[in-house]
Amino acid sequence: MPCEAPDWLAPETLEEALALRAEREDATVVAGGTFVGILVNQRLLAPTAFLSLGGIPGLNGIEGGEELRLGPMATHRAVELSPVVREGWPALADTFAVVASPRVRNQATVGGVLADADYASDPPAMLVALGARAVVRSVRGEREVPVEDLIVGYYETSLAPDELIVEVRVPGGRHRAIYRKFRSRSHEDRPCVGVAACRRDGGLRVAVGAVAGRPQYFPELCRTGSDPTEVGTAYAEAIDPIADLGGSSEYRRRVIAVEVRRALEELE
Amino acid sequence: MTDPRVTGAARYAEDFELPGMLHARIARSPYPHARVLRVEAPPGCIALTPDDVRDLGRYGCQIQDSTVLAVDRVRFVGDPVAAVAAETEREAEEAVVLVDADYEELPAVLDAVEAAQPGAPLVHSEHEVSGGRAAYFALRPQPGTNVCHRFSIRHGDLDSGFAEADVVVEETFRTAAAHHAHMEPHACVARWQGDALEVWTGTQTPFNLREDLARVFSLPEEQIRVVCPPMGGSFGAKTFLRSEAIAAALARKAGRPVKLVLPRSEEWVTLNRHAATIELRLGARADGRLVAKEVSCYADTGAYADCGPGVAQKMGFAAPGPYRIPNVRVDSYCVYTNLPPNGAFRGYGQMQTAWASERAMDLLAEQLGLDPLELRLRNVLRDGDRYCTGETMHDVHFAECLEAAAEAIGWHHDRRGKGLSVILKGMQTPSRAAVAIEAEDDGAYVLRCATTEMGQGARGALTLLAAELLDVEPARIRFPDPDTAVVPYDTRTTSSRSTYMMGRALEVAAVDLKGSGGRRGYGEIVDEGGLDPDTGQGVASTHWHQGAAAAEVRLDGETGKLDVVRLHASIYAGRVVDRPAAELQTEGSMIMGLGTALYEEVVYRDGQVANPNLSDYPIPSFADLPERLTCDLIEREGAEIHGLGETALPPVPPAIGNALASLGVSPTDLPMTPESVVST
Repeated sequence: MPCEAPDWLAPETLEEALALRAEREDATVVAGGTFVGILVNQRLLAPTAFLSLGGIPGLNGIEGGEELRLGPMATHRAVELSPVVREGWPALADTFAVVASPRVRNQATVGGVLADADYASDPPAMLVALGARAVVRSVRGEREVPVEDLIVGYYETSLAPDELIVEVRVPGGRHRAIYRKFRSRSHEDRPCVGVAACRRDGGLRVAVGAVAGRPQYFPELCRTGSDPTEVGTAYAEAIDPIADLGGSSEYRRRVIAVEVRRALEELE
Repeated sequence: MTDPRVTGAARYAEDFELPGMLHARIARSPYPHARVLRVEAPPGCIALTPDDVRDLGRYGCQIQDSTVLAVDRVRFVGDPVAAVAAETEREAEEAVVLVDADYEELPAVLDAVEAAQPGAPLVHSEHEVSGGRAAYFALRPQPGTNVCHRFSIRHGDLDSGFAEADVVVEETFRTAAAHHAHMEPHACVARWQGDALEVWTGTQTPFNLREDLARVFSLPEEQIRVVCPPMGGSFGAKTFLRSEAIAAALARKAGRPVKLVLPRSEEWVTLNRHAATIELRLGARADGRLVAKEVSCYADTGAYADCGPGVAQKMGFAAPGPYRIPNVRVDSYCVYTNLPPNGAFRGYGQMQTAWASERAMDLLAEQLGLDPLELRLRNVLRDGDRYCTGETMHDVHFAECLEAAAEAIGWHHDRRGKGLSVILKGMQTPSRAAVAIEAEDDGAYVLRCATTEMGQGARGALTLLAAELLDVEPARIRFPDPDTAVVPYDTRTTSSRSTYMMGRALEVAAVDLKGSGGRRGYGEIVDEGGLDPDTGQGVASTHWHQGAAAAEVRLDGETGKLDVVRLHASIYAGRVVDRPAAELQTEGSMIMGLGTALYEEVVYRDGQVANPNLSDYPIPSFADLPERLTCDLIEREGAEIHGLGETALPPVPPAIGNALASLGVSPTDLPMTPESVVST
């Protein structure tokens, strides 16, 4: 009694993809498939259709300049190794480099890691700290969303059902940034706490990942010149951390204070 | 490189196929303990439900507590209640989710110490001791309780021993349940030809499996054939009867061969390592001389005993450690809980008590103000000493292993951040091995023996030994997959016994061959021994594995994160047969020990495994390895071969724990996660 096989929609242009996205609300978008594959294998997801972006040319670009423009289908590995990214946004390259293993990074994409909104991914916190924006398009038009407003909760985004992420833009210019991935278990584990921090034009942005439904960014706690210990303590107090196999809520609070402080000390 | 494992030519159990075979999947209980009210398979599908297996025999290598499917009661989350077979794996997967069952939940017991108390809910109402050959010692189930075996040592007079002590250390230690994480899952194919059953399966225990299958299907053993392709890893997971009986019962019902490969997540409900709680009291004189030791071990064997009684027994006789102690009392309990079954795991039983015993030695050293190395050297067993079991120790090298390990990490230079440990590990006793050598017309020789290959290198080592004995190139030795229809009986491929036992059988067979025309030779070795389960007196092991480990750690005091920067093991090998393989085995054991020390734990929530995948169950990656990971294999001219597939695992966690303790954090529980370190 085999179940009906889901439809595999494989558009060849972005326009076609947007049209299908509008028509087929039942379709799950597949980029690199590293996340969707797990959900399907674990029977957490059984969609009637998949909308694959893999056959659309031109979505994997990486371009520098005033700002960095990342295509949604650019892989983690491509971002990690790109000379453009390494030169102008080295902390971003470092962040993509610590995700899982090369095999996963060769498959997982920039658009995918944002659209999945998995709380324990590394790149979202760094993209928030760098002030990145997602360009989001549908048949109705295009808009730009700061990454901190794109991811709104556990596996939840502010994308409308007909929208696709078509680009990620990261501000350029002089800045100093760092990503500290704290793993409580083996090296290939996902973060227990991920701290991304960026200083630019006298401003500071600190985002903490893997501790709550979305990257935790508190502009009011990032006042310029504030002491690393004070910012660390303030973040630890402001965040209500999740408990999972990587650590309890109390333990994460302790690590947030330490790792935020260390990130800021390294930035100085 | 032409090694078939490297070129991809190797064919594992998972690769085995027969024409016309079906693919199977298992439906499992969602409750830790429940009455099964109704199980219904989807219509039009080949399925096995409890009524199909009700009249089949019970099995269990030491306690006969298992049925092919759970019949009236499920006893853990994951207990098989039905199985389906279909033309493709995918169809089987879709059919299995349609199995419909009703349950009535019963109170469950999820902790071994609680389960051992009077009045705890009973997992099994009675304990029927197996009559099989894997029940190789006298079992002592405690009727009306969850204790399916109690093993005790009574040596000397404990009270007067403690009365003599100037210092006493008392502590409770815990080790977590762990999973083997073998690369290839459990895989088997079953086929019936009339009343004869054939099974191709990745197993370390072909003859024990055959015996249990004979009991299930009420057949003479000779009507069952078990063939063992090489395994893609096992570490103890592929021992005794696992899912072969389900495949066989399905195949009989379907009238076609059936293949069953477990999905990865089901590996965590098939066999794990015993979590243990160990209560320990150790007394010494002011000069460090040990005078008394009392140990109680609780081994959580889960819902079915498997070889848990043997694990508890080994925990018990390893608990005194490699020391001269005049007064010893040990009680080791194998306890049922409503958790997935636990069984053999590389160096079984030894790791748990080595953790407790070797941590206690450092606690004692601290109280006495003695160098932990010096304390150990004053007490370790030497040649000719008697162990607390009454047996005389021979070919003893504990002091040598310890000194070599200490030297390797610069112990005498600076002890801060450093730790040592030393262990003794028994080998399966009693034990029997046999091999037939047959000459081929092209000048090659065929080895017919039941030693199975799981990546440990037994095939390579035995090939080298045979080539040397027969005076031919190793390429002239053929070693077909073990097949119970043609190989002589062997105890099993466990407990680091094969190179030693089968190697000796080979020597006898080679002599026989040379003395009888050069066409065929047969060799058999039988080692007798065993312990009285109530006093622990007798011969625990005809041959002791000996090893020490040394670790140097760096601690991030703010987060509790521990980095092992240096790890060394010194293992007594007697004689090394295949050096590269022996070193790799030792390094592999050390890395597995590192996982046990720092990361690995099967986490249960309300009896359900919370991390049944390799993302949430963390094993060490290469990036986790110490900056320096080294080992030495100690040899002695004329010495006998000592198995070394497991010896380097048990001493690693306590060496790391003792290194951490030298920095002021004294751990009692494994794994030493950063969170546990900051809260110690």
